[in-house]
Amino acid sequence: MLRNTADSWGAPAKLFHWVMAALILAQIALGVMAASWRVSPAKLELFFWHKSTGMLILALVALRLLWRLANPTPALPSGMAAWERAAARLSHLLLYVLMIALPITGWIVNSASNIPFRIFWLVPLPAIVAPDESTAGLAALVHGGLFALLALVLAAHIGAALRHHFVKRNTVLIRMLPGTSRTP
Amino acid sequence: MKKIVALLGLCGLLTFALRPAQGADWKMDPAGSKLEFVATFEKTAAPGVFKEFDARLRFDPEKPSGSSLDVTVKVTSADMNIPDVNKEIRGKDWFDYAGFPQAEFRSTDLRRTEGNRYVARGTLSLKGVKQAVEVPFTWTGSADGAVMEGELTVKRGAFGIGTGEWAASNVIGADVKVRFKVKLRKAG
Repeated sequence: MLRNTADSWGAPAKLFHWVMAALILAQIALGVMAASWRVSPAKLELFFWHKSTGMLILALVALRLLWRLANPTPALPSGMAAWERAAARLSHLLLYVLMIALPITGWIVNSASNIPFRIFWLVPLPAIVAPDESTAGLAALVHGGLFALLALVLAAHIGAALRHHFVKRNTVLIRMLPGTSRTP
Repeated sequence: MKKIVALLGLCGLLTFALRPAQGADWKMDPAGSKLEFVATFEKTAAPGVFKEFDARLRFDPEKPSGSSLDVTVKVTSADMNIPDVNKEIRGKDWFDYAGFPQAEFRSTDLRRTEGNRYVARGTLSLKGVKQAVEVPFTWTGSADGAVMEGELTVKRGAFGIGTGEWAASNVIGADVKVRFKVKLRKAG
């Protein structure tokens, strides 16, 4: 089944979820290493892969949003408290906002720093702001702050998925796994 | 009196005739001149300029033999338009501003290759390394002067620009393009 239904995720939605989950975890590792490495070719290499992956994530999230808007969203299990529903909606919204805002603030840092860059050596990345040191510094600060927020929301997201599975014993986690297109 | 005038005239004639065949002296007009270098970062062009440099030339485009070219570059005036990079290139691994603030190119072998194209064979002294370099250029004369323009590729490794772990060329490429446009006026 390709399309989502009222209680199941289709294959494309699952693919988007897990591919982007893997990319985002790799991206966090690359970003943390790039920022903390001493100035060296290795640091520049790490930044190159971090920036390329970031632009890939930005492209994927655009497609993912289109797919999400074109499909029904499986309903949350019945019996969830109002605060749980609100927390689920808010954390999903935040994840989407962060998947867009993190690459864009990174893009601003790169543009303001005037660093020539081609995504995966292929696509030249146009500048979205004029070169300016203070803009670069401010955007880097925002980028770091958004990353801290992402870490918190990801922890909540993963924690909530595990809670649904092991404590509440519902299908929320199971139905996002590959190969479980039919709900029991 | 007539004799003296004739003698002076003869002297003048002799001076002119005995003067060795050589071109005019040219001075650079910094306002119309530019010296750029293009490094590569992850296979993407990373341009920079040397803001301060000077070229002196003795050159006759019709008779380039006997010409000479002398270029001095204030290496410390390098600007790659990225604050972090500008900080980095000062250091010993790169240009080593403290040790080698100036670079030079000297040539006494200028030849015409075809039409308005010439080549200056000479020695580039950069970061304490002297190496034979060929600088091709075009010469465009005008009423108030001339313009020399050209481009060459320099291997940064040959001059120790980027030492140690930076010598590897996968992140910062081995080739650096040097582009120049020099506006000249006849001196004197």
